[in-house]
Amino acid sequence: MTALKRSGVTSASSHLVDPRFLRHVQLWLMAAPFLFGALLLVVLPAALSFALAFMRYDVLAPPTWRGVENFVVIFRRDVFWIALRNTLVFAFSAAPLQVFGALLVALLLHPERRGVRLYRAVVYLTNILPDVAYALIWLWLLNPLYGPINLTLSWLGLPTPAWLVDSRTALASLVIVAAVRVGEGMLLLIAARRTVPDSYYDAARIDGADRLRIFWHITLPLLVPWLLLLLIRDLVMAIHSSLTPVLLMTGGGPGYATTLLPFLIYEEAFTHLRLGEAAAMMGVIFALIGPLIGLAGWLTHRWWGDHAG
Amino acid sequence: MRQPSALFGFTTLRRLASPPRRKQFERLLWHCLALSVAVLFAAPLVWLIIASLQPIGWPPPRTLVWFPHGVAWSNYVEIFRVAPLGLQIGNSLFVSAAGMLITLLTASWAGFAMSQLPPPSRGWLVGLALLLLLIPSGAVWMPRYVLFSSMGLIDTYAALVAPALFGTRSLLALMYYWSFRRVSPELYESASLDGAGLWTVWRRIALPLARPTTLAVAVLAFSHYWSDFVDPLLFLKSTQRFTIAVGLRMLQQMDATNWPLLMAAVTVMIAPVLALYLLLQVVLNKDMNFLRRVIHPFNK
Repeated sequence: MTALKRSGVTSASSHLVDPRFLRHVQLWLMAAPFLFGALLLVVLPAALSFALAFMRYDVLAPPTWRGVENFVVIFRRDVFWIALRNTLVFAFSAAPLQVFGALLVALLLHPERRGVRLYRAVVYLTNILPDVAYALIWLWLLNPLYGPINLTLSWLGLPTPAWLVDSRTALASLVIVAAVRVGEGMLLLIAARRTVPDSYYDAARIDGADRLRIFWHITLPLLVPWLLLLLIRDLVMAIHSSLTPVLLMTGGGPGYATTLLPFLIYEEAFTHLRLGEAAAMMGVIFALIGPLIGLAGWLTHRWWGDHAG
Repeated sequence: MRQPSALFGFTTLRRLASPPRRKQFERLLWHCLALSVAVLFAAPLVWLIIASLQPIGWPPPRTLVWFPHGVAWSNYVEIFRVAPLGLQIGNSLFVSAAGMLITLLTASWAGFAMSQLPPPSRGWLVGLALLLLLIPSGAVWMPRYVLFSSMGLIDTYAALVAPALFGTRSLLALMYYWSFRRVSPELYESASLDGAGLWTVWRRIALPLARPTTLAVAVLAFSHYWSDFVDPLLFLKSTQRFTIAVGLRMLQQMDATNWPLLMAAVTVMIAPVLALYLLLQVVLNKDMNFLRRVIHPFNK
């Protein structure tokens, strides 16, 4: 079969069209599913949600034009502002904590020593656990009465907060749960740390610099681009991946303490069938995230240029 | 501040201890620290398994005792009777296998195209993949729902497997690109001079050389569909089509206080993901020869 195809291709290419052109067509055909998928599942939905933000739509009846009224309606609702505030508090505390944790673990587990692969694998475990399982496990760990965390705390004689059940600590609990997932950041930072030439450290050691100064003057400055990119990525992810934990662990409560924007959008769209307003809220999220993504792209281009690929 | 080392006593320590002994002490300290970090990160899983083995019907222990009422392995049988877990696992296996197979094709095609296209188009394609990397799938589920319902895909597995069209996550296509790029261009060229078409080069040269990548992509794609929660939650309606991820939520809503059974179900759900991850670790990190031994006989 391959022989047949081969002869077909060569005869066609040598006589009829430029072989290089044919090659390009074939390559683009190979990339076609990827491009089609990106168009169908990312570009088109993005355009659709932009359009829906200006429509009244409930899935059942065809959408009708509503202009900016969706935005006026959501801006008038208190719960939107609560959710926006919660989302910002959540993302801007979880993401920096996550990056900081990843940096600490990466610095600790960077040297190639015996057992280091096992340690890294264990830290990375938190990232491979499915979101549902991760949320349910933490729901058990943070159970105020029987959860192992509070049992341990009371055994140590420390105060035992009610975590997710108390409106004062619920959002903080979600932040902790999200911030523990440092595995991916750790791997990225270990890889980044490897790009620093050993000669820098040798030179510093010859000059008599100690560890703290080596870290402060060599490691940290060279890691800054990676840390920034990681921070942006974690911010975007924290905003978007919050639906599963909120849905499974708190249901947005107690009160509205853990109502984050993705959860509110989910409620609007699928409980109240107000897809237009949900799309308007997604527009708000995009207004938050768009600049971050733009910044990440610009930084990548500036620091690594075409080598980013 | 000129000499922060003096503040921390490092200098004195350095003077006191002879270099080899200091090295030894440092090593010991490092192992203690690393081990405690690992224990900390492993603790949730240990607690999960302990919780899953508590007998049903007893109040959960209020102290740090491991098994006050004995170990109930029967929980792992019971969950299959209480909930349609077997059916859900079957559904998940089907969806994950389909998603993985399609992903292997689309991601390796896209990666191959990226590695073979000349600069301007290549940069454009890689740039697109990098951009997609930054857009989380959580950003588009609502309009995707509208799109799928207008295409009549709601309550079908096609809606769940659809992301496999662009390689599930663009990272997987990029992984293939990075791995194909490492193959020397002469190898591709000599194959083309021998009259091999692009298709043959992809199948006979590029793919076999990228076997570790294929394994990694397969594991990542399989776990993606296995773990996927939001998509089946939104796109599936009939309970007999539910995957295990939504099955867990069903179980949670059914009896929110039956922790042992819920934790047993969670353990069953994460087991394949952990096993695949372990396989990947062993194969990719420890012994590249092992990979050749495992895969080679089947591929001759």
